[in-house]
Amino acid sequence: MGRATYTIRRLLQGIPVMFGVVVITFLLTEAMPGDPVSIMLGPSPSLQQAAEIRAQYGLDQPVHIRFGKYIWNLLQGDLGRSLYYDVPVTTKIIERLPVTMLLIGASFVFGTITAIPLGVISAKRRNKPVDHISRVVALIGVSTPSFWIGLILIIVFAFHSQSIPWLPEFPATGLVLPWADPATIDGASSRYDVIARSLEHLALPTLSLGTLRMAAFTRIERSSMLEVLNQEYVKLARAYGVRERTILRKHAFHNAQLPLITIMGLQLTASLGGAVLTETVFEINGMGRLIITAVNNQDYYLVMGTTLMFGVVFVVGVIVVDLLYAYIDPRVSYEGGD
Amino acid sequence: MSTTIEEDAQESDVEGAAEEKPEARVGLRYTLSQLKRDPTAKVGGYIIAFFAVIATIAFIDTNVLAWFGQQYWIAETFWVNPVNDPATTQILRPPLGLTNDLHPGNPGDWNHVLGTDHRGRDILVRLFYGTRIAMMVGIVATGIGTVAGVIVGAVAGYYGGWVDDALMRAVEVLYAIPFLVLVIAFMVAFGRNLVFAMIGVGIRTIPVFARLIRSEVLSVREEDYVEAARASGVTNWKLIQRHIIPNSFAPVLVQATLQIGINILVIAGLSFLGFGAQPPTASWGQMLSKSRGYMLPAPWFSVWPGIAILLAVIGFNLLGDGLRDALDPRIQNR
Repeated sequence: MGRATYTIRRLLQGIPVMFGVVVITFLLTEAMPGDPVSIMLGPSPSLQQAAEIRAQYGLDQPVHIRFGKYIWNLLQGDLGRSLYYDVPVTTKIIERLPVTMLLIGASFVFGTITAIPLGVISAKRRNKPVDHISRVVALIGVSTPSFWIGLILIIVFAFHSQSIPWLPEFPATGLVLPWADPATIDGASSRYDVIARSLEHLALPTLSLGTLRMAAFTRIERSSMLEVLNQEYVKLARAYGVRERTILRKHAFHNAQLPLITIMGLQLTASLGGAVLTETVFEINGMGRLIITAVNNQDYYLVMGTTLMFGVVFVVGVIVVDLLYAYIDPRVSYEGGD
Repeated sequence: MSTTIEEDAQESDVEGAAEEKPEARVGLRYTLSQLKRDPTAKVGGYIIAFFAVIATIAFIDTNVLAWFGQQYWIAETFWVNPVNDPATTQILRPPLGLTNDLHPGNPGDWNHVLGTDHRGRDILVRLFYGTRIAMMVGIVATGIGTVAGVIVGAVAGYYGGWVDDALMRAVEVLYAIPFLVLVIAFMVAFGRNLVFAMIGVGIRTIPVFARLIRSEVLSVREEDYVEAARASGVTNWKLIQRHIIPNSFAPVLVQATLQIGINILVIAGLSFLGFGAQPPTASWGQMLSKSRGYMLPAPWFSVWPGIAILLAVIGFNLLGDGLRDALDPRIQNR
């Protein structure tokens, strides 16, 4: 099976999962108590008004008809209309998704570029002080709530940075997209200003969300480097007198990266969930805050749409990881099936 | 994994009969002795024991004494505000030895070692009561997920075929929705209280155990002793119960210990978003959420609950790692 066929097959395999996500979210929103109409119209709407709204959003129809309609619309790319914002759900998602993806992307970049050196050094100097320090850092990293790191960062870098003269100050709320129009950003005249402002805003949330990635990646990187360094071919290379640095760079490093890629795929959903908290702490208007607003306002279609979007991001992420895997490691055959 | 343990056990039994007795490499006693030798696992164990004692005391205080009619004055509020006098209650007192702008010239004292919160309640005491929630929810939710996950995984792995396909696809769907998002939607649908928080977190934990046990079962299923049992007419369910689940026990125990830590983090996050224990019940996440309004005058208010969460989770992580090393001889010394 060629690479293209494999890709298509993996994509098709994602469809049942997506359907399951739709079913689960539909059932959950169905079970939600309260009447969305009263949320839209206030506590005591007139009967006629209420009936009109119901008819407009299709809420007056039985469950299975609504589910069928939802699926039908979904196939045409229509996620319904948000009851709370009164705009199409897709509009809201298109507006918010880039923010969250930027945040998650930044946290993954931070996690990877810190974890790889830490893990490699740790494995190379196993049971030396450097190793112990990096292991303790990783342990604390996986055990710390990301939102608490966020709070502490805000306290130190936004609220109390004046008390320590050399401490830089960072903005504690909001996010600026690097590709935003300079005209819409206060005091920014060029693309350069916007990017600088964006980085400034990204710094604290990235640290907050990225610490867990860093820690998880470091642990994996360390143990997989250790495993590779124990392999026969590495021992053989050593016996031939190949320099340790060359072994590390040419023989061990490349082969040790597969587990890291696997864990990255798994960390994707974790970081989507973490984004909900990080966005709340830093008051960033991304997908995470959107879903909290939707849930709190019984905004059926918005809850379903955002959850579905999270599912899509996850499924696509997993497929990308699988493909990367097959690309990097020729032993993972395309024919293996599942 | 389990096969090595099994073989080792048989080997050491035979040798043990012949020469002087070498240490058996399986069983609770061996595991415990290994754990005792592992300093990090020991630290983890002590941390968990410490939190467990506090949680028990807080549990007795709020529940048992309340059953005997000793209600509010001894439960929670009494400890929260020992003076119990609004006139002397001081909000946002600094911790021992520190001062802040709200209480100039009046540094924190031994009455409130960690300071007081925005209602004048002692933060240390609130942390104690929060321990109760964190431990209870962490353990119960993980228990739900473990039991359900083990059953799902064992059935899927043992029967294979379409049963396996259907169950594993369902599990994959649960996995595709982010933890917090699924639990929040679940809680909004069924009830915004601790019970549903535990059930929701438990359900979201199912995939972890289902996948783990399935892969274990797939390797155990083909073992000779399982074949033999099947050939001698042992029923499927009994096989799963008697042979397959016990032989996959070690990795489940390790994962469950680690998962309690993860679930404590998730519950803290839920409480932080307002979906956990509802006020006035103290929980760590909720304290952090409240502290957001007082970061300038009372930064310590945000510090303590986070440290409590961090310590509890570290405890479970250390113990889980230690257990893994003790239960799986192959990955020792890694």
